[in-house]
Amino acid sequence: MQKRSPETEEYLEMLVRYARDGRQPKVKDLAKDLGISPASISEMLGKLSAKGYVRYEPYGEIRLTEKGEKVGRSVLRKHHLIERFLTLAGIRKERIHKEACILEHAISDDVEHGFRKAVRVLEKRGMQTKDIMRLVDLTKGEEAEILLLEGGGNVRRRLMDMGLTPGTKINVTRSSARMGPVEISVRSSTLAIGRGIAEKIFVKVRR
Amino acid sequence: MRRLRIALAGNANVGKSVLFNSLTGLQQHIGNWSGKTVEKAEGGLFFKGTEIDIIDLPGIYSLSAFSLEELISRDYIAKEKPDVVVNVVDASVLERNLYFTLQLIELGRPIVIAINMVDIARARGVEINVEKLAEALNVPVVPIIAIEGKGITTLMEKAMAASRQKGNAPSLPYGKNIENAIREISKDVEGQDFGYPPRWVALKLLEEDENITEMVGERNPKIIEKARKELQKIGKSCGQPGSVVVSSERYAMAERIARASMNIKKAGMPFSQKLDSFLLHRIFGYVFLAIVAASVFLSIFSFGDFASSHLLGFLSSLKAGMLPYSGEGPLQELLLDGVMEGIIAGISIALPYLVPFYIFLAILEDSGYLARMAFLMDGIMHRIGLHGKAFIPMILAYGCNVPACLSCRILETQKDRLLASFVVTLVPCAAVTVVIMGLVATYVGLEWALALYLLNLLVILVLGRIAFKALPGEPVGLIMEMPAYKMPMLKNVLMEAWKELRSFVFMAFPIIAVSTFLIKLAEVLGWLGPISDVISPITVGWLNLPTVVGIALIFGILRKELALIMLASLLGAEAFNTVLTPVQMMTFAIVMMFYVPCAATIAALKKEHGWKTALGISVFEIVFAIFLGGLAARLLGLFFV
Repeated sequence: MQKRSPETEEYLEMLVRYARDGRQPKVKDLAKDLGISPASISEMLGKLSAKGYVRYEPYGEIRLTEKGEKVGRSVLRKHHLIERFLTLAGIRKERIHKEACILEHAISDDVEHGFRKAVRVLEKRGMQTKDIMRLVDLTKGEEAEILLLEGGGNVRRRLMDMGLTPGTKINVTRSSARMGPVEISVRSSTLAIGRGIAEKIFVKVRR
Repeated sequence: MRRLRIALAGNANVGKSVLFNSLTGLQQHIGNWSGKTVEKAEGGLFFKGTEIDIIDLPGIYSLSAFSLEELISRDYIAKEKPDVVVNVVDASVLERNLYFTLQLIELGRPIVIAINMVDIARARGVEINVEKLAEALNVPVVPIIAIEGKGITTLMEKAMAASRQKGNAPSLPYGKNIENAIREISKDVEGQDFGYPPRWVALKLLEEDENITEMVGERNPKIIEKARKELQKIGKSCGQPGSVVVSSERYAMAERIARASMNIKKAGMPFSQKLDSFLLHRIFGYVFLAIVAASVFLSIFSFGDFASSHLLGFLSSLKAGMLPYSGEGPLQELLLDGVMEGIIAGISIALPYLVPFYIFLAILEDSGYLARMAFLMDGIMHRIGLHGKAFIPMILAYGCNVPACLSCRILETQKDRLLASFVVTLVPCAAVTVVIMGLVATYVGLEWALALYLLNLLVILVLGRIAFKALPGEPVGLIMEMPAYKMPMLKNVLMEAWKELRSFVFMAFPIIAVSTFLIKLAEVLGWLGPISDVISPITVGWLNLPTVVGIALIFGILRKELALIMLASLLGAEAFNTVLTPVQMMTFAIVMMFYVPCAATIAALKKEHGWKTALGISVFEIVFAIFLGGLAARLLGLFFV
């Protein structure tokens, strides 16, 4: 893959956004949106023009070439994907755009492909990773659904026999942050589960 | 006359033993399952002219191969074919209990369900529709209150009726995927007699049951291959491992049936939960635990001490009274001072502590507080690779190692039990405390006595960790049901205590008598001197102790607290500081603290784990104690010049 600077990509992405919104890009607007002085914008546009990404004459119209549009679209697509991924990962809304702007330049096309598949699976199940927790990390009063039991066959067998099959609803009735077992209520019985085992039980928190 | 065999099966904490006790009264026989270290309780009763044998199967949650108890139970039902299986079910926890019921039905014996504690469930707002439940499962269902004896006659009538029926209700069907797989595998299983129902074998193969997979694989590996393929098919279509699917579907069935046959009214916060917010509190919980442990501890020891000295005085005078009639001679001496003395020791030293201990244990267990103790101690016990429940044997061991060893049975897995038993034998019991206090605290200094206890804790921590790593088997942490609090019933408590006590007496007394006899024999034959000469390279060469101390060490095998009296008479001085140096006293105490558990403890180890383990632990501890003693003799020399 051809090496491009993140700066180049950022310009092209912005120009694609303008085109998508049907706005005519102007140096003044670009300067405002990218947070850069108009002089630097002009200089950068000159460089991009030299590389064949845009067609630009000073004080004239700014237009993306086919090559520039392709790059810009790809970056924008990655930006959107990363935003979705960060949402699943439980990152706070106000940080998502900024983080995505950094990450979008770092991922290659095949990594993007893998990410897309993973994001689809998680979105289809309607869960965010911030909702997927270890039983040990839940606090008293939280409700959850058993997702997955890690660890040896015997422990898993035992947990399932006690009623913790995937999909089962549980309710944390007692838990301490540092020490001691977790107490849960499951299928109208009360179980105490040691911390070591509670670390290997993954649940989906119901909010 | 017809003789009927009824097996009681069910989860733990459902009141199964209460039902067993009220059915059989004192007509009980407690033994071990042949070749196994799991307790087998049998009893009998006459009911309407029929003699009925009752077998109380261990309390379990499933019929998998998770524990020895589960294996024994399923083998008993499938192979010994009891006439009827009475499934005791806790009315308040219907769903999880039915998961076990469904597995029982799959084993293909006539079944009667006894829904126990319907009164408690009712108080919690749960009303069970018996007719609906019976219809859904296609087996007779009887509501009972075992502790009050209610419903038991009806239960026995239904059980007798069920025994006259041919065959059992068909198992309930799973989802299509699993039923197809069962059908495919059953075809191959059917021709061969594995001793279990073919459908059940097929199901266990799908659940990847180690035991059954091995059994089938030895005879016909092709079936295993087929089962594996079917599992992959199920896994693909359900998006979960095949063995998980079976359990999930079984629970889904249990859930469906439970919902359909229960009326739930909203009830306030259960009493147990209210109590727990105090008893399991981060601070008050531990304060209360300490108070309970201390008072149990103190009452056992003050009662034990009192009863022990009185019994000893009484029995010794009895023995002395026999002297004029028996005449004198080596044989009389052997019988009176050997066998008789051993039995007196057993009665006067072990029983006074054991009786209150078993009563307290039964009360703690019946009330539900035992589970809370384990809950509170879990975090701390994990540091030596054990979980919360092992706290109970540990604390008991400071009194007497014997009941401590026996109580390791409350742990689930063999590994946990073995590890706990080993740790327990390292704990200094009351008799060792006598030695440490009488020797080290009196003549060397209290701080050195305390240092010995610290050393002991350190050794337990280190050896416990090493043993935890070295022992085979995966660690199973705490997965424990928290039973609802109940008022313990005197009758049941006494019967449980009696059951335990009786099996202890039958196990330990012969061994105590024989070992006292052997030591007496050695004394009468004049072998003690030569023996102490033989071991003098160890006592004198390595431990830097006087030769005669060897005899005291040998006597310690029998009764550790006697070692001090022996030592005094052997050295010919009550004031030990005139005959032993501080280093020698400390060395002696260290060896006493760690070396071979007394004869009764070895017997307890043998009962729980077999001869090999008992001998292994004993030999290890002798070697370890001598090694540590010698090391101490050299290192302590630096402090006492």
